[in-house]
Amino acid sequence: MRMVEDFDDIEAFEAKETRDRLPIGWLILFWGLIIWGVIYFFLYTPQFGGWSQEKAYQESVNK
Amino acid sequence: MNDYSYDNQTVKGFILSSLFWGVVGILIGIWISIQMWNPSWNIPPYFTFGRLRVVHTNGLAFGLGLGAIFGIFYYITMRLTKRPLLFPRLARFHLYLFNVAIALAALSLLAGMNQSLEYAELEWPLDIGVVILWVIFAINILGTIIKRREEQMYISLWFIIASVVAVAVLYIVNNLSVPAGLFKSYSIYAGINSANVQWWYGHNAVGFVFTTPILAMFYYFLPKSTGLPLYSHRLSIIAFWSLVFAYLWTGAHHLVYTPLPDWIQTLAIVFSMFLIAPSWGSVVNGYYTVAADWSKMRTNYLTKFFIFGITFYGLQTVQGPTQALRVVSQLIHYTDWVPGHVHMGTMGWVTMIVAASMYYIIPKIYNTEIYSVRVANTHFYLVLIGQLIYSVTMWITGIQQGALWKAVNPDGTLKYTFVETLVRNYPFWKLRTIGGIIFAIGMVFFIYNILMTIRKGKSLSASVA
Repeated sequence: MRMVEDFDDIEAFEAKETRDRLPIGWLILFWGLIIWGVIYFFLYTPQFGGWSQEKAYQESVNK
Repeated sequence: MNDYSYDNQTVKGFILSSLFWGVVGILIGIWISIQMWNPSWNIPPYFTFGRLRVVHTNGLAFGLGLGAIFGIFYYITMRLTKRPLLFPRLARFHLYLFNVAIALAALSLLAGMNQSLEYAELEWPLDIGVVILWVIFAINILGTIIKRREEQMYISLWFIIASVVAVAVLYIVNNLSVPAGLFKSYSIYAGINSANVQWWYGHNAVGFVFTTPILAMFYYFLPKSTGLPLYSHRLSIIAFWSLVFAYLWTGAHHLVYTPLPDWIQTLAIVFSMFLIAPSWGSVVNGYYTVAADWSKMRTNYLTKFFIFGITFYGLQTVQGPTQALRVVSQLIHYTDWVPGHVHMGTMGWVTMIVAASMYYIIPKIYNTEIYSVRVANTHFYLVLIGQLIYSVTMWITGIQQGALWKAVNPDGTLKYTFVETLVRNYPFWKLRTIGGIIFAIGMVFFIYNILMTIRKGKSLSASVA
């Protein structure tokens, strides 16, 4: 069955007053995770932080 | 009103095909859940756990999932681009080819043909079929978007484009293999490279089949069905770009504590944790959208599907990244926690949003109302309860399993044998079967409602004519 339909009005999809808003809590989460990621990457990469899976294993065995 | 008419038959064809493969996949899911605690339900050689499990995963991810995605993407794209599909006949051919491919996939898996790569089990002749299928889909979707009659691109179109492009790249790269006969091939990757490519594929199949397409539906049908405009367009765009940027780096979190180089594992963990932000961007956007008028939860039966769906998406996208952390991974990886996690996503998020989208589309196509809101509500509560029983039982037994595996005596020997840890799963596995059955009954209510709406629509249009 083919039928004629209304178009979607793009304007109706977006709230006007809030369309450009970014919640502050969400922004903290966003940048916080990026900062955490950089720190974690340096700490847990053998070439930078010195940590390695092999060393962690040996330590757990020697405990 | 406009002069164009949309081809709704193809959309409806995909929706009905998707429901058909969904029934097959869910029934097999219940069957294999029984096999876990009652081995006599294995019927060799075709209906053993090893063969049925892949029919379950492929049937639901590609039969129910892709079927719904194809149909609903065609529906959304036509409306947001303000034009009919560029190649309506090609879309119809796509529908037939899709069903042939899924049927052949199921049969070949039952026959034991398997590349032994998770979610990429299909042998090479079928892989070529899938690629052709996807190219047909891509040409139609991307072509229609390029030739669109609405300049601005709503957020759903971005998620659609990402899904179409990413799945193509992922599928081709992971399935590269050297054929050794018609039904057998060898992957071109070996060892740790094979593992890395496999999980880059495996995890992003989740990303670009179970996440981005469902978000495309969420962003389209939430404003459509509630009449509430999206809270923030900017937030949705930033969430989109950061999601697609981060997702493709995360696959190696499936290989924590393996011979994969440490830095690759760490990088994957970092990107996985970052994914919480874009995921919650969509969650927050959904909540704030409905926050404009919470009474919609009561007055519009579809709103709760979207709000509960996005809530499970929110839980899923905290749980998933956390699982990537080494300290969590070493407890729950390889345990039954993982299927618990996956099924919150598939039963709580994917099917919830897909069902709501279909509830919206089918009456629209027939210019009628849904057959019964009460049946839809019953469907909602049954799938919700079924899913919660499934996820919660598997989380409990998964933690128990991990703790038992890790328990050691003072001299370093294991405290429990594998079988001792296994038998403790049995009560939880039985409960899971009950959860699955409740979920399946909910889906029966859903399908009944859809079919009755179609029947109602047909008799309406007949009486008008």
